Amino acid sequence: MTPDDRSPSEQDELDELSGLSRRSFLKGAGGGVVAGALAGGLAQPSTSEGVVPQEASAPGASTVSLSGRHQIALQVNGEQVLVDVEPQTTLLGALRHHVSPPMTGTKEVCDRGSCGACTVIVDGRPVYSCMQLADDMPGHAIRTIEGIGTPDDLSPVQEEFCRFDGLMCGFCTPGFIVASTACLEKHGAPDVDTIKRELSGNVCRCGTQTHIIRAVQAAGESGVLKGER
Amino acid sequence: MTSARNRPEWGSNDTHALLNSDIPRVDGPEKVTGRAIYTHDIRLPQMVYARLVVCPYPRAKIKSQSYRKARKVPGVVHGAPFKEVGDSIAFQGADGVVGAIVAETPEAAAAGLCGVKIDYEVLEPVVTPEDALAPGAPVVGRRGNVTGLSSSGDRAEVEAALSECAAVVRGTFRVPVQHHVSLETHGVVVDYRGGNEATVYFSTQGVTGSNREFASHLDLPSENVRVVAHNVGGGFGAKFGGGIEGRIACELALELRRPVHLMLTREDEFLMAGNRSGSEQRVIAGASRDGVFKALAVEADRHGGVGRGALPTPPYIYSVGNTYSEIRSVHTATDSSRAMRAPGHPQASFAMESVLDELAYGINMDPVEFRKKNLADPVYHRQLDRVAKEIGWLEHPHRTQPGVPENALAVGIGFGVAIWGSRSRDITVVDVRIGPDGSVLAATGVQDIGQGARTLVAAIVAEELGLAAHEVSTDIGDSRLPPSVASGGSVTTGSLGPSVKDGAFNARVELAKRIAPMLDAEPEEIRFADHRVFVEGDSGRSVSWKQACASLGKDPLQVSGRFQPHLRDQGIHGAQAAKVEVDLLTGRVTVLKMVSIQDQGLPLNRMAIRSQMNGGMIQALSFALFEERVLDKKTGLMLSGNLENYKIAGCGEMPELVAIIDDEDTREAVMGMAEASNIPGHSAIGNAIYNACGLRLREMPFTPARVLQAKGGMS
Repeated sequence: MTPDDRSPSEQDELDELSGLSRRSFLKGAGGGVVAGALAGGLAQPSTSEGVVPQEASAPGASTVSLSGRHQIALQVNGEQVLVDVEPQTTLLGALRHHVSPPMTGTKEVCDRGSCGACTVIVDGRPVYSCMQLADDMPGHAIRTIEGIGTPDDLSPVQEEFCRFDGLMCGFCTPGFIVASTACLEKHGAPDVDTIKRELSGNVCRCGTQTHIIRAVQAAGESGVLKGER
Repeated sequence: MTSARNRPEWGSNDTHALLNSDIPRVDGPEKVTGRAIYTHDIRLPQMVYARLVVCPYPRAKIKSQSYRKARKVPGVVHGAPFKEVGDSIAFQGADGVVGAIVAETPEAAAAGLCGVKIDYEVLEPVVTPEDALAPGAPVVGRRGNVTGLSSSGDRAEVEAALSECAAVVRGTFRVPVQHHVSLETHGVVVDYRGGNEATVYFSTQGVTGSNREFASHLDLPSENVRVVAHNVGGGFGAKFGGGIEGRIACELALELRRPVHLMLTREDEFLMAGNRSGSEQRVIAGASRDGVFKALAVEADRHGGVGRGALPTPPYIYSVGNTYSEIRSVHTATDSSRAMRAPGHPQASFAMESVLDELAYGINMDPVEFRKKNLADPVYHRQLDRVAKEIGWLEHPHRTQPGVPENALAVGIGFGVAIWGSRSRDITVVDVRIGPDGSVLAATGVQDIGQGARTLVAAIVAEELGLAAHEVSTDIGDSRLPPSVASGGSVTTGSLGPSVKDGAFNARVELAKRIAPMLDAEPEEIRFADHRVFVEGDSGRSVSWKQACASLGKDPLQVSGRFQPHLRDQGIHGAQAAKVEVDLLTGRVTVLKMVSIQDQGLPLNRMAIRSQMNGGMIQALSFALFEERVLDKKTGLMLSGNLENYKIAGCGEMPELVAIIDDEDTREAVMGMAEASNIPGHSAIGNAIYNACGLRLREMPFTPARVLQAKGGMS
């Protein structure tokens, strides 16, 4: 069935169903409208499945309407990545499900901005990738766990996590590593209170928090600053 | 230990080359770089994503339902109900799974879910024990709303003993339902594309044998189904069987002949993935003037939803002259409780440690001394003394009566003890292979759920062969590997460790036999240490590890290890202390410091044990101050069903934690310890609040509202 087969009312209903609740929640506006300032960064999306982006009808309002699958270009760990997304696709969803090959280091735990497992660095700041729409991300520099060290070449904070056992099951760990990296880049050698504050948006259930705090402190004290290794 | 004996021995705990030290996790680098693949992360060609349609009400009837619009959403490949119009939902959780949507992408599955229209007739929810016990309440279970009543002891004798006590305390202790909150939700990826074979990726605490369950769902021979769990994002007792989500994923895969990815959402996880049962314990306890715990009467209800719930029979740990108890399950129409880290014990600990404290203060006795007086086992005495010293009890200004705060902030200290069986099972087989290139591989079906099983396997083999832990490769988390134990009840270390040691021992003995002629020595004289193989007492006659392995020729050396009962023991203790600050203006409780001491025989990996102790303390802190499942009494809707409403302790709440390994336990045997470390922490926090300011909180969590309520009641 193509969109043309449907009656207008049915199409409206389906547009509603296409998961716009998250958009409404994030933007305070329904109807698949992205505010112009945010859409400004959109790299000319090509259309892979009957798609739009088009200027909204309201004169002067710099907005675009999106529906269906379309391609955007993300800048991830210094490389341009073309990815097919839907309007409701989050940055987390794009990384985990739509980038090829998938980047599954960033974890989905709550999918609503309350656990930090999906933390990535956007333009130098840690953000919850589950609370960012993929369509808002072109033009922004995204760093994920995959861009911070490898098993054979760990970053200083990754080394300290291993040394102090700042991980157990490991599911929260990528989010903590990314948030810790952002913390170290911002503060250099942060004190314990600063570390606690900067990592307060990340949740761990196994109970590694005190070891994580020590690991971040040690990484800061080792003097390897500002992330460039 | 590499001395030649005819059977493996751990040797004295202070003579290890690698074990009994801080051993970094061998899978640390994979996990800190996001390279470790969990079930959530499995991506397969043609894979589809399934979402469950879940009734939010505990009890309801389906008046009408339509999946028509859901099926029209682009990308949705399947959408169907499991129940028909007129069918009932009997309880929240598994019975509330009324349908499923399957789609090409997670977004389409979510959109499809929005298209499902169901009208429910909402029935009386029965979510509180009071509702379940009310006259004329709807019957929740098949056998009624009250089951499993058991009693022990003689009530008349307890009452007679109570009449002679110098101090008698009465109290009703309420523990809420707690959730496991594994960060990786429950779920599976079923890779079945038609044909006679399937692979199931499964976030589980028990890999070995789990293929049988999925084979039954898929109607395949069990040997044709392989289950894989290379990394598991936490379990805490809730991840044993495949559950309803496992069955549904298999059914969908059978129908669609495509791999099905079905991981619960966080909301689904809270609704249907189990919990720690709550409890209400009505207690009367008495002690003599000289500090002997004379009498105890407990009437207790387990709140396990449609499940049984868990609570040990009183008295818990302590010796009591006369005890009478009645325990029963009161069923509500809510998700069944499951095992959770020391099932039933934290609940029992809260009531028991609280009344002990009250009795001690009731006779003006130091609660540490009162505990020791009523604990026969001397291990508890040394452990209590140690945590008392470490928390600063001996310098604490008020030890036999609570503090009378002069300003808004009051500081107090409290205690609790633990117990656990730490048993083991004779099931694990470990294959050890040494390659001519010097590579070593240890393989067994055990799973690493965060406890460090993979590192334990590598380290035991490495020590035996004189290598480093990271030089031993491991193959675990696969049902096709030799069998191992499910990880629950702290059985992993005691069940796995002896088999690994036996396999490593056999590998060393066999390699020694091959090397001995090269070094002109008897096999019994061959030693392994620091990457060298040498003759005891003659370091001149030696070869490097690589040279030794090269002498194997073309074929690797392969041996197996089996369970050796003399290498494990069971039965552990544990004590904890907590220091808190209570703000009497706001009611806020801040935990300043916690101390835990734990015995476990030979501490295989000291760092992993300290991490487990920290985890036990942090989970107890979180349970004490924050965690509580909240259901709306009128509708039964869950009000605490995501992490923003069900708070768990984070970095901001971290106190100073001191984790002490009790090295006075010199048993040359291994056993698990994770459960014990999770038992007494919240009780110690409750007792610390009382010690700080004289407020006895008998209902958890100890929220500001409850502190202020108790304060109001005091004046």
